[in-house]
Amino acid sequence: MGPSLQLERCATGIEGLDNILGGGIPRGNMVLVAGSVGTGKTTLSLEFLVRGAERGERSLFISVTEASAKLIQNLSTFEFFRTELVDQGSLVFVDLPVIYERLGLSNEELNPEEIGILIRTIRDLVRTLGVRRLVLDSLTSVCYRIHKDEQIRDFMLRLGEELKEAGCTSLLVSEIGPNPGRYSLHGVEEAIVDGVVLLWNARRMGDILRVVQVVKMRGAAHSRAQYVMELTPIGILMAPHLKGGREGGA
Amino acid sequence: MPPVDIGDRLRSLPGGSAVALKLDPREYADHYFAVLNATLRDVGSETNAHTVYVAVTSPAAFVWTLAQALDVPRERISFVDAISHIMMNYSNPLENATYVDSPRALEEIMLRVEFLLRKFPHPRSIVVIDSVNSLAIHNPPELLSEFFHILLNNLKSRSVLTLVLETSDEEQSGVEQMLNLVVDETIDVARAGR
Ligand SMILES: Nc1ncnc2c1ncn2[C@@H]1O[C@H](COP(=O)(O)OP(=O)(O)OP(=O)(O)O)[C@@H](O)[C@H]1O
Ligand SMILES: [Mg+2]
Repeated sequence: MGPSLQLERCATGIEGLDNILGGGIPRGNMVLVAGSVGTGKTTLSLEFLVRGAERGERSLFISVTEASAKLIQNLSTFEFFRTELVDQGSLVFVDLPVIYERLGLSNEELNPEEIGILIRTIRDLVRTLGVRRLVLDSLTSVCYRIHKDEQIRDFMLRLGEELKEAGCTSLLVSEIGPNPGRYSLHGVEEAIVDGVVLLWNARRMGDILRVVQVVKMRGAAHSRAQYVMELTPIGILMAPHLKGGREGGA
Repeated sequence: MPPVDIGDRLRSLPGGSAVALKLDPREYADHYFAVLNATLRDVGSETNAHTVYVAVTSPAAFVWTLAQALDVPRERISFVDAISHIMMNYSNPLENATYVDSPRALEEIMLRVEFLLRKFPHPRSIVVIDSVNSLAIHNPPELLSEFFHILLNNLKSRSVLTLVLETSDEEQSGVEQMLNLVVDETIDVARAGR
């Protein structure tokens, strides 16, 4: 592939991840961040947004399960986070339950029309604010309210198209079990997204390591190797997962 | 040929060099002190130098006591301690140390070294690994050589001077061979002038 065909990259700002991806996520890609509880999905997503906001890319966090006030508080563990980013509106937090309520989406299961409303609301937010990076934490909790596989597929395809058109790179958090055999609630999500980043805990001789692997990323020649990651006050750091003596894998 | 002064030799090396410092176990205390002197005081006291000391043989608290005896200022050194937890010696953690659960957590050691290098960015960064033999006690050889290969390459690309302490030990001759493959040179402390 010649350099002219190279897609523009959205550098995540997490140096280790950008190295794995060969520069970053192809701009406009919709990426699943899949992992079991406590594997660092929210932390990784937040750093992606903070680093983006720092570079002048407006960033939007759509929270479903955790209140944004608490998330902003958690951000202070990042030494590189400045509250001005939130005050100036470079980093925007939206609670999805509030949006559901405003839109009157109170049914446990969303019907196709309501799904359409939800997509348009997100699209309008992205367009109006000029959002370049978006996180949905989590896709899983949205998908709990969409019961049919084909509706999930439709929801994700349309959301993906809207975001791509807006040049908005997105991370969709997917909560999975420790040994799920798939990367999402319904198993259809991973086929639609442009990329999958998998997080899990590995054991070696009694020690637990956080491991990250880019399983797929359309438009990028990337490493598929496993890396160990650490969540630190200066951001997420990554190192190669040593092979010798490894007990089992993903 | 007159013996080289370890401190002089280390000072003359460009950033990015990896050096094994070979200690004789029969004169361990003497040699160890000479090495600390050369690394922490001679090289480590140069302007803009910062040493990240990976403590696997003795706890960071012990090394820090010796460093203080050599008048090494606190802001010039930070520790990755990978031994205190398994020695159950963690009751008084140092402020300038970060503690890793065990010497088997090799990736964690790499990540903490990186963390400290980023946290204290200095033009002249030095990483001391004390020692390859202690790491070899806790890790299988393939894992250890992979660790050194990756770590030393990474530090080289970032122009960090890396010093690996090694005690010559016939039982661990494989370790010596492995280290020879990854370092640029070996300084035999017994033959060096001090
Ligand atoms: N900056 C940090 N430094 C050290 N540890 C951190 C940092 N940020 C988060 N952690 C720890 O990492 C753990 C997991 O973080 P995180 O919330 O990102 O995981 P998650 O995958 O989103 O979990 P969940 O499935 O519960 O939403 C938490 O227990 C938290 O204490
Ligand atoms: Mg979370």
